[in-house]
Amino acid sequence: MPAGGADSLKPSAFIPVCTAACLLVGSTSLFFVFTCPWLAVTICPAVPPCCAILFLFVLANFTMATFMDAGVLPMANEDEDKDDEFRAPLYKNVDVKGVQVRMKWCASCHFYRPPRCSHCSVCDHCVEDFDHHCPWVNNCIGRRNYRYFFLFLLSLTAHMICVLTFGLIYVLHHMDELSKLHCTVTLVVISVSGLFLIPVLGLTGFHLYLVSRGRTTNEQVTGKFQGGVNPFTRGCCNNLEYLVCSPVSPKYTARPIKKTVIHVQPPFLRPEIDGKTPVRVRDNGIHSEEKVRMNQMKTPPPLPPKPNHGLLRSQLYSIVTSNSTEAMYSTEYICRPHLPDLRLEPKESPLKGGLPAQAPLQASSTSSSMQLNSLTLNSRSLALKHSSRHGSKSQLPAVHADTLGSNSLLGIISSPSLLASHSSSNSSLSYDTLINPGDPQFLTQRGAPSVSYHPHFMTLGTDGSMMQRPPPHAYSPVFMGVTRQSPQPRDPSPSFLRDNFSKTIMASIHERREMEERERTLRLQARSQGLYGPDLAIYDIPSRRSLPPDNIRLSGSRGPTPPAYGSREFLMSTGILGYGMRTSPLSSSSTSSLTRGPKTSSSPLQNSSSSSLNRLLSEMQLCGGATYQLITVSVFNLHAAPSSFRWWYDVSGAACSSR
Amino acid sequence: VRPRSASLVTKVFIQRDYSEGTVCRFQTKFPPELDSRIERALLDQTVKTLNSYYVEAEKIGGQSYLEGCLACATAYIIFLCMETRYEKVLRKISSYIQEQNEKIYAPRGLLLTDPIERGMRVVSFTHLLPLSLSVQG
Repeated sequence: MPAGGADSLKPSAFIPVCTAACLLVGSTSLFFVFTCPWLAVTICPAVPPCCAILFLFVLANFTMATFMDAGVLPMANEDEDKDDEFRAPLYKNVDVKGVQVRMKWCASCHFYRPPRCSHCSVCDHCVEDFDHHCPWVNNCIGRRNYRYFFLFLLSLTAHMICVLTFGLIYVLHHMDELSKLHCTVTLVVISVSGLFLIPVLGLTGFHLYLVSRGRTTNEQVTGKFQGGVNPFTRGCCNNLEYLVCSPVSPKYTARPIKKTVIHVQPPFLRPEIDGKTPVRVRDNGIHSEEKVRMNQMKTPPPLPPKPNHGLLRSQLYSIVTSNSTEAMYSTEYICRPHLPDLRLEPKESPLKGGLPAQAPLQASSTSSSMQLNSLTLNSRSLALKHSSRHGSKSQLPAVHADTLGSNSLLGIISSPSLLASHSSSNSSLSYDTLINPGDPQFLTQRGAPSVSYHPHFMTLGTDGSMMQRPPPHAYSPVFMGVTRQSPQPRDPSPSFLRDNFSKTIMASIHERREMEERERTLRLQARSQGLYGPDLAIYDIPSRRSLPPDNIRLSGSRGPTPPAYGSREFLMSTGILGYGMRTSPLSSSSTSSLTRGPKTSSSPLQNSSSSSLNRLLSEMQLCGGATYQLITVSVFNLHAAPSSFRWWYDVSGAACSSR
Repeated sequence: VRPRSASLVTKVFIQRDYSEGTVCRFQTKFPPELDSRIERALLDQTVKTLNSYYVEAEKIGGQSYLEGCLACATAYIIFLCMETRYEKVLRKISSYIQEQNEKIYAPRGLLLTDPIERGMRVVSFTHLLPLSLSVQG
């Protein structure tokens, strides 16, 4: 019995069921006592026994509908729900016979409701194949007892028609004795049965229709399959057959627990692959050895001394997720040997449970994978654009545009998707942060907390060899801020160049950054002239313009160094926290980005540096027409999360927005 | 807090496969967390056997029809005396799971729990020891 939650236990809830029972039993008893003797004598002796059997059937079904467990799903244990309520999506899509069905997270019962399952607010539990809560039986009607409810309706209709008919016959034969007791009682009985016959008949007809269409009352009332295909129907005849002939489903709650003793003794067996270092061959042909990767993880690359390194790291984590504990898993994610698994089997990974690092992904693996695929394509186009634009730079090999580049991106993308470790927006986050390094906001912070990224570059060595740690000023794509350097070409670190993939990325990033810095300085100069109106919303900054023309235009200018934004300011200048300050109507792009629970965490940075953020944002607003676009990264639903953000990046035509 | 120790889990879940509708089926996809604990083939076989048991339990055929008629005829009093077919299959499943646990899973440090305990929503594996990432091959 749910503690204080079930309305079905209130005294008032018993009134309809008691009324119904009293009416039914009372009327029928009166019928049998006063009317049936004459019927047995006059019409047929078999009439009362048949009526009695029918009435017994009605009672039996009524009892079963009232007292039988409808198919209550027990609440999930805590261990089953490893996700923080803040991060997992509200809905999970599942494919049922080719039709996408949404499974909603039940906040009371702590699991994703199976298809056709619904939570009864009166009884306060989830019911499998939920039909409705019937007040006349004070019980939910669901998978286990729908059959009895339906048979109750059928038999009650038949019984009422019987009573009405025979009562009428009696009264018609006793028209001159209407004032007598027998007649009066029979009149009362037939009026009661006649009165209630109409709604009961209506309800029976309604349920006959539902059964023929294979729907539940809940689905009919909410219009779920109104226009579309109902994947749960088996055809009219099979539906009826299923209704009547299917085996009775077992009870899930209050089961007798059988205690079994199993003796367990270590050492435990391991599969045969134990001891070997499995070499994964990714679809880009890169061999990566997980064992080495694990070893690499154990020796984190030394970062250059940075005064606020710890702060940067925490900032990074708080940017990536609203929940810092999850960010701690970011390094874990990257080095996990199962990274390629996630990428190669994106559609159906039941990530729930085992990997804590992957736990936050579980609910949206399918959607994130699909998004990942689409983003991969976009990334490829973006890479192509980069390569064409920066073709003069020799560091960009022609291979950039081919499968290697794209697949390397894919590899990078999958890992950062884990890094962000969130719902569907994760992949977009990783992809976008990776692609947008050319944006001024995303320029590298020297020695930024790129710890989380280092293993990527380690593992994606094209020749399969383990790379050294990335250079000190490696990119942390998530955390990028404008540096204080002047817009001059900067040599990539030699260690970076060892990695082909990172080399290409680095080169493109450098190029973009330089160009953007030039543009920015130009705009800042033009700002005072009021060339750009402040009418751009935060989210529209900058307006969409393609890159190439502007880049060319500004290639010659070498303005002064951009303002010396501190790392923290740039963290926010990237717009992550700034966007989060406002809820955007654009934020909830897909249902999968809706989260299950209210997010209460807020980034500390946001509060502390709002002034600098506002300043920068206002500058951006004034700058207006930009030569770059922001990448859309929806980490998670913005409706409650202050630290989520949106960047827009549209590479003139290659719409890679993850709206 | 070291992420590694904080990320240790003790349960792995195999979710229901709803692609065939609401019939009871579990996904045969191998959870990556168990990659180093058990061979795929063994787990596959367990899940497939469980699925076949459930198919047998939910089969609409002669026996279920007879059961229904009998129940109707006796005004469902028969349910007080007799066990339904589904319950019989569930007992078989229980004993199968126990046998699997004793023979296959316990030696590997895993425990399979009966899905009926969780409302047939998941098949759960309990790691008997914390999963140590560092020993993953």
